[in-house]
Amino acid sequence: MRVLWNELKKILTWKMLILLIFINSVLYFLLIEFDIKHFPNGSHSYSYEMGIEMIEKYGTTMDDDEFIDFKRTYAHQVEDATQYLQSREEFVEEGLDTYEKFLAYDWWNASEEIYALRSNVFFEEKVELFWELQERERLLKFYEMKDVVPDVLSKKKKQRLEELIAQEKFGIYPEVVMMNFKTFIANVGIAILFSVVLVISPAILKDRSRQLVAIQYTTKKGRNLFKTKILAGIIATFIVITALLAVYFSLYSLNNTSMYFDVRVNTFIANESWFDPTFFQFILLCIAGIYIIGLVLGLLSMAFSTLVPNMVSLIGIQIPFVVGFLIIGLYPLLPEMISIWHPKWLSMISYCAMIIIVIIFTAILWKREKKLDIL
Amino acid sequence: MIVVKDVSKQYGDFTALQNVDLEFGNGLYGLLAPNGAGKTTLIKMLATLISPTKGEIFYNGKNINDMDDQYRERLGYLPQQFGYYKNYSPKQYLLYLAALKGIGKKEALNKIDELLEKVALSDVVNKKMKKFSGGMIQRVGIAQALLNDPEILILDEPTAGLDPKERARFRHLLTDLARDRLVIISTHIVSDIESIANEIIMIRNKQLLYKDSVADICATLNGCVFETTIDYGQLEDFRKNNILLSEKQEYGQMTVRFIHKGNSEDEWTSVPPQLEDVFLYEYRDELEGEN
Ligand SMILES: Nc1ncnc2c1ncn2[C@@H]1O[C@H](COP(=O)(O)OP(=O)(O)OP(=O)(O)O)[C@@H](O)[C@H]1O
Ligand SMILES: [Mg+2]
Repeated sequence: MRVLWNELKKILTWKMLILLIFINSVLYFLLIEFDIKHFPNGSHSYSYEMGIEMIEKYGTTMDDDEFIDFKRTYAHQVEDATQYLQSREEFVEEGLDTYEKFLAYDWWNASEEIYALRSNVFFEEKVELFWELQERERLLKFYEMKDVVPDVLSKKKKQRLEELIAQEKFGIYPEVVMMNFKTFIANVGIAILFSVVLVISPAILKDRSRQLVAIQYTTKKGRNLFKTKILAGIIATFIVITALLAVYFSLYSLNNTSMYFDVRVNTFIANESWFDPTFFQFILLCIAGIYIIGLVLGLLSMAFSTLVPNMVSLIGIQIPFVVGFLIIGLYPLLPEMISIWHPKWLSMISYCAMIIIVIIFTAILWKREKKLDIL
Repeated sequence: MIVVKDVSKQYGDFTALQNVDLEFGNGLYGLLAPNGAGKTTLIKMLATLISPTKGEIFYNGKNINDMDDQYRERLGYLPQQFGYYKNYSPKQYLLYLAALKGIGKKEALNKIDELLEKVALSDVVNKKMKKFSGGMIQRVGIAQALLNDPEILILDEPTAGLDPKERARFRHLLTDLARDRLVIISTHIVSDIESIANEIIMIRNKQLLYKDSVADICATLNGCVFETTIDYGQLEDFRKNNILLSEKQEYGQMTVRFIHKGNSEDEWTSVPPQLEDVFLYEYRDELEGEN
């Protein structure tokens, strides 16, 4: 126990902690801040509010009756909008005295003056009603298309869509929260995985390059210390991931998305997935994903750390490896892990493969270490 | 008792040691050979850091690699080069190693105080090691090897970086320790061991040359070591016919110490051979290469 504790202390030093805080502050401001500070943003905030209204009024699914109610609300608002237009002389003069006319107007070919009127409503006066109506119209369109299966899809994807339609899981709830979470979690993934690699990479190499191994391996503990070092690395990885997740998710809580937690992922617009967890369960899945990828990268870092001759080559291997992994693997394995845009079992198989590979790799390294000449 | 049985070690194609047979009982053994002779190679095999390419090493009849931690817990080892954590004090460093050696914390703290006293580092117990001189680090290394009160103590060039006073203190410590355990120290400095070693081991051409007491090793040159005074001009000639061990300039003349086998001349004084003489004589080829 004392030995393990000592190794852990060697990995999680104050210096490392400061470095971690620094790196994460930089990555936070570069990658993550936007999705916290500017959420919901602009027209998205109407989407966000509308979603909450739908969940409060209709729950996490909408049946036909509820939809009729939704349309009724829309009709009321259209009337309100018409009244607003009629209260403004400029619009009446141009013949835009009902919302229907306003909506049907050929804005692409509008003269500058008329277009200015439209901008006035949306951007200067910021008449909420018009924004809300726009959002409602968008949602209505998605509702109308709820059982259309695009022809271009592969057989399996079509099958899945048909299955969802049969189960009446339509993608009709506003997707802003989901989109926001997906970018957020991908960027958090980047920050956390970089942090893990940063903390874990030097661990084993440092003792070797400082020539501590000769003394360590001739003690009673002997070469078993290698295993303890690996274990310490795993624990350190776990601690780093947990601490950073705690920080980033407390920031995420500022986005106030808990109202959406019970909505199933397939009922968000354009978010068809192979499985159907709730939004909250999906968050948990992503967290589990980060733990797995983090532990895999942590173990691989230790493996590289065991094999490379010096710090320069360690950096030389790690940077392309990690960046490559993040570019290729991060999206399919985290935010898109159950999306139908990837093969159904891709993420599952990738996760299993990664776990098996690192376990085998680590076992091989241990076998090697047991017999290795310490020169 | 350690038995080294027909051990060879190769680094790739390069043979560092060949067919070495050795036995060590209690007492102090000095491993004396010039740079690159294979001292560290032998010692690392004794410390289980590298394994013999051929042959086996036994402790009390059991293969040391099979004994595993039972061997290592009896072992104290000081590598020729060893590392430490710059921000650790000697106390922290020794505590760290004590944990690896399976020594309880309380016991370790007492032992650490005692050992740091022995190597004269009592007043820097809590100072960070990055501020230490080479000799101080070396003494921490010596203390480290003694932490577990080892039955077998193996020190690879322990006197490197020590000043004369510390060397003397260290020799005392070693004599003390060697009373009831097996101590092997490697060095290429004759004076470190000639007065204290029970036996000297010499390696030459990858093989064992001598394993004997100082007296017996010196006896191999009995009657062959002389001193005489010659003119400076004669030196070249003299060097051709004899094996020069040392030369000293005095009053425009040279006092030379040399080896001559065969008939001696009258003006030469026969002197009792010293270990240094044997060392210089046996390794004359290797040492010449260095100069
Ligand atoms: N890792 C290695 N790879 C190849 N050759 C090596 C290696 N280590 C040592 N050697 C060679 O083996 C020989 C013996 O080396 P060793 O370090 O055992 O000598 P030594 O007696 O300890 O020398 P020194 O007094 O300089 O410490 C040397 O010729 C050295 O070049
Ligand atoms: Mg050596």
